[in-house]
Amino acid sequence: MLIPCPHCGTRPVEEFTFLGDATVTRPTSLEPSSMDAWMDYVYLRDNPRGDYTEYVHHSGGCRAWLVVKRNTDTHEVDSAVATKTMKAKT
Amino acid sequence: MTGFRIANGGLIDRSTNLTFKFDGKSFKGHQGDTLASALIASGVHLMGRSFKYHRPRGVISAGASEPNALVELREGPRKEANTRATMVELYDGLIATSQNRWPSLENDFLAINSLASSIFVAGFYYKTFMWPKTFWEKIYEPLIRKAAGLGTASKEADPDTYEKSYAHCDLLVIGSGPSGLMAARTAARSGARVILADEGSALGGSLLFENEEIDGTNGLSFAQTIIAELASLPNVTLMPRTTIFGWFDGNIFGGLERVNDHVAVPPAFEPRQRYWRIHAKRAVLAAGAEERPLVFGGNDVPGVMLASAMRHYANRYGAAAGKSIAVFTNNNSARRTVGDMKDHGINIAAVIDTRKNGKIINVKGGKGVKSIDLSDGSHFECDAVAMSGGWSPIVNLMCHRGAKPIWNEIIAAFMPPDVGPQFRAIGSASGKMLLSECLNSGIVAGTLKGKTPPTPKCKDEAFAIQPFWWVKESTSKAFIDYQNDATAKDLPLANREGYGHVELAKRYTTTGMATDQGKLGNVNAIAILAEAAGKSISEMGTTTFRPMYTPVSFGAFAGPFTGHHFQPVRKTPLHDWAIEQGAVFVETGLWMRSSWFPKAGEDWLASASREVKATRAGVGLCDVSTLGKIDIQGKDAGAFLDKIYCNTFSTLAIGKARYGLMLREDGVVFDDGTTSRLADDHYLMTTTTANAARVMSHIEFCHQALWPELDVQYVSVTEQWAQMAIAGPKSRATLQKLVDGLTLNDETTPYLAAKDITILGGLTARLFRISFSGEHAYELAVPADHGNMVARAIMQAGQEFEIVPYGVEALSMMRIEKGHVAGGELNGTTTAGDLGLGKMMSTKKDFIGRMMATREGMVDPARQCVVGIRPVDRTMKIRSGGHLLKQSDRPSMANDQGYICSVAWSPMLDMWLGLALLSNGRARHGEVVKVFDGLRGHHYLAEICDPVHFDPENRRLHA
Amino acid sequence: MHRVSSLQTIAIQGRFGADKGAPGVTLSVVHPLAIAMVIARNGKSKALKDALASLKSVNVLWAGPDQYYVQSAAKSEAALYTELKTKLANIASVTDQSHGRITIRISGPKARAVLAKGTPIDLYTDEFPVGKSALTQMAHVGVHITRTGKDEFTLSVFRGFSESFWEWLTSQAAEFGYQVS
Repeated sequence: MLIPCPHCGTRPVEEFTFLGDATVTRPTSLEPSSMDAWMDYVYLRDNPRGDYTEYVHHSGGCRAWLVVKRNTDTHEVDSAVATKTMKAKT
Repeated sequence: MTGFRIANGGLIDRSTNLTFKFDGKSFKGHQGDTLASALIASGVHLMGRSFKYHRPRGVISAGASEPNALVELREGPRKEANTRATMVELYDGLIATSQNRWPSLENDFLAINSLASSIFVAGFYYKTFMWPKTFWEKIYEPLIRKAAGLGTASKEADPDTYEKSYAHCDLLVIGSGPSGLMAARTAARSGARVILADEGSALGGSLLFENEEIDGTNGLSFAQTIIAELASLPNVTLMPRTTIFGWFDGNIFGGLERVNDHVAVPPAFEPRQRYWRIHAKRAVLAAGAEERPLVFGGNDVPGVMLASAMRHYANRYGAAAGKSIAVFTNNNSARRTVGDMKDHGINIAAVIDTRKNGKIINVKGGKGVKSIDLSDGSHFECDAVAMSGGWSPIVNLMCHRGAKPIWNEIIAAFMPPDVGPQFRAIGSASGKMLLSECLNSGIVAGTLKGKTPPTPKCKDEAFAIQPFWWVKESTSKAFIDYQNDATAKDLPLANREGYGHVELAKRYTTTGMATDQGKLGNVNAIAILAEAAGKSISEMGTTTFRPMYTPVSFGAFAGPFTGHHFQPVRKTPLHDWAIEQGAVFVETGLWMRSSWFPKAGEDWLASASREVKATRAGVGLCDVSTLGKIDIQGKDAGAFLDKIYCNTFSTLAIGKARYGLMLREDGVVFDDGTTSRLADDHYLMTTTTANAARVMSHIEFCHQALWPELDVQYVSVTEQWAQMAIAGPKSRATLQKLVDGLTLNDETTPYLAAKDITILGGLTARLFRISFSGEHAYELAVPADHGNMVARAIMQAGQEFEIVPYGVEALSMMRIEKGHVAGGELNGTTTAGDLGLGKMMSTKKDFIGRMMATREGMVDPARQCVVGIRPVDRTMKIRSGGHLLKQSDRPSMANDQGYICSVAWSPMLDMWLGLALLSNGRARHGEVVKVFDGLRGHHYLAEICDPVHFDPENRRLHA
Repeated sequence: MHRVSSLQTIAIQGRFGADKGAPGVTLSVVHPLAIAMVIARNGKSKALKDALASLKSVNVLWAGPDQYYVQSAAKSEAALYTELKTKLANIASVTDQSHGRITIRISGPKARAVLAKGTPIDLYTDEFPVGKSALTQMAHVGVHITRTGKDEFTLSVFRGFSESFWEWLTSQAAEFGYQVS
């Protein structure tokens, strides 16, 4: 599989480390009532066949964390964006 | 069995005489021969025995699909099993041995299996060897393995080297026949970067042996002109002897280049094979088509071969398969064999075309063809049979990513699927059966830009086929899969027994499961199975195509990364100093760390004990360069560390160090270390050796994905600094001699001081007053290039205090004496509370792991927490891993109270002691528990105590 | 003070590997070298680029998003660090890496062929022109690679891996013959 790193260009998958679902958001509340949200954030993940958005670290390259959209079925990679740029835009 | 060398012609160099041995017997051949062609020319047809019935087998093909002529090539450490004689280029001194026979190829005792074949039908393993159950492992399996098996591996280490390499191109052309050459030339002329790969020893594909006329010249010289042009272009890479074995995501192709398989021993500094990863913007599959055998009685008798293989041997190698041959076909293409053989002066005994004049019922002969019986009752003498059951495009690569080939009725073959523009099939690999179509498809595919150039003129031979799958009247066995001895009858049987799905039938009959992966037999098998199941071939479909197209050696996959080079070695800046001091090294991750420094006659325990005592009595020097060091800067560096660590760093004074504890987001302890504040916006973090890389990734994630708004920058400085722990009551006096213009005392350098200094007259250094040993101690960091020099200077300065170097064994003893937690306790299950560090968790801020650490289960008082442990019998050795039980309890999961996680011999207390995790342990100091060591099958009593075994008041630290 | 490279006793000068006329590649250790890592502070990407462009007698090499290695063979590591600290104050974080990395120069007609055995990066001139840097892995070691000429590259690795990396690099160059200078 090839991943188009926004900083380094297209590189093979061995240069990358996968972390999983990038659509989860870390809760900000520290109230005990928010524990369910924390449990979801830390533990609960879907394992979809098809489109998937996940955190990928270019650990063997520029060391940027990326959000990669890919298809777990066809292995097609749709896009790779640096998390830093994404957060800056939102 | 009367093959011979044709008087002239072919692409062999008759002026060379190469001597080779097959089964101990000497033969001669020429440069340009394969092992198979040289054997045929020498009159040898019998080249192997089949897998199950041990039937005599001869060569059937002239290429990669060969199922029969498998030999052990070479001897000793270079021996290679299951090598296809059809692909082995002949060299002088070549040694090959037949396999799967005993005691010899001519007289194989196990051929008796063939007589008992009624019990060896498909599925016989499953049916016959089921009972009694205990017989399987001891009797049946060893017997089967002896009887059925292929070549044997060498048990010696491979003396040759293997390499890996990447390549990139605009167009990868797989196959160098007419269409491949056209594609390569067209693309190359337009300036594209082209790689032309072919599994053969010479480029040219079918033009190397088929009589063709193109552009007013013969096919061979047409090909040679193009190859010469391509070789002259800087944008073209020609890769003969290179099999493209797999197609992978991202249009990446795997290739195996047999760099030096055609010589006995590779030249110095050259690899035997090279594994290529080719990144191709586009690729074309020009792999050609595979001729299919016909399925009739005795179609495996040596001398029966594919019609195209017979003319391949005759035209390219000047090797005639026999003196009088019969041709059996269901299509037009075998006419070429008739014509070519006549041209070579070989007698055509009979031409049998299923469309016209019947079928061969049986081939007579044991170790070679003697005669054939036809369906009309006639009988012909002959010594070889050429067969053609039609042509299958070699679609394998295009199906490696899941697409299925599509059945085409007109040419009676599976066609490659459409997998998009980046990978297209051309020529006969795409089902084109006319030369002009092949040339044209190559030119079209090679036109990456501009106008399509004209197609060279050529002579076409019309193609027509009428599928014919199985001569059911045959009385002798009709084989589908030669190597695995699957016969035509096995497929209807599989269907009757409920294994009619193509994937099930494959496994039930073993069709297509041999080293050739059914390249010749699968389509025949599918057709026969479809008929038995009452389905169309299209409905039946194919089995799954997977890489590798042909076998790839493990050596090629491993490349140069074997033995010492399996993984890179990481050495510290004090490595040379440690060698001078006689260090014994231990691998810690990739690092080589000095483990102990034995004096003459000392074992590790004696050495490490002496190192501990000398350090605690005077001073010791330890290389701690492997600890991860991360430089953290920026306006928000302190705020960021507050997120990463469970304790607070934004309040740390400049010039001070603090012990920090990092949790994972699930609340479990992740890592620990000392982090110092060098300036308002500048911190230096240290991590454990083991977690250095993980902590760096974690920091990058936390910043880039969670809190990118924080103005913080970080970079690893692990390798920039050589770091030394100088510990013991004389550490200050030792260091004082090196330090420039600074008096070391509790005012200038209090406990947990961190400061930039210079030593030895101007050398930049960082000094930290921190301690892992529990002694008055420092860590000194100097730029790595000066590490060895500074370590030597410290040793000299400490000479009067009898300074010792100490390694990680002594370090570990001292930390366990002091009850400091390390890897055994930071084991991915423990919370800060479990480690006795619960109070470090701030309640005033958010940090990674904060919420999850508050869960009920994470703060349960019954959790196992760190305690000290000592054997009641103080002379006893204890080991880690032992489980803790109440004295009266029997060992069981329910009674388990915890376990010992670290142990060490304590030179100071003169006994073995350890750290353990014990349920509600902090309330149980003084209790005697039973330690159950299941691994060694014994148990003993041990006393639970405070984890700090030595100097509990920490007097030495502040001395 | 005299700096001792981690390859001082490893990279021995001479001619090695296959003898096929002129060496396929020439290898040399670029040492001593002053190296600083500079990373832009938040919102200072452009300011950093501009500031780096105005620096004299140093090499500036891309080393990741908003990160650069600034190198000098002439300046001492302290001088370079101090200069950058001053000139890039409030623009970038500066970290001395002079001792943390070892730089190896590889040149010659087979340089690309040797490097292709390690990196998945396409080093074809059109794709990877002179002056371009990239971060990649070769032989399981992280490598910062820069093209410094048509057939010339520099490779920089963590100091601790340098010996292992050198062994791999020279073994891959051996088939072409190599000179260590």
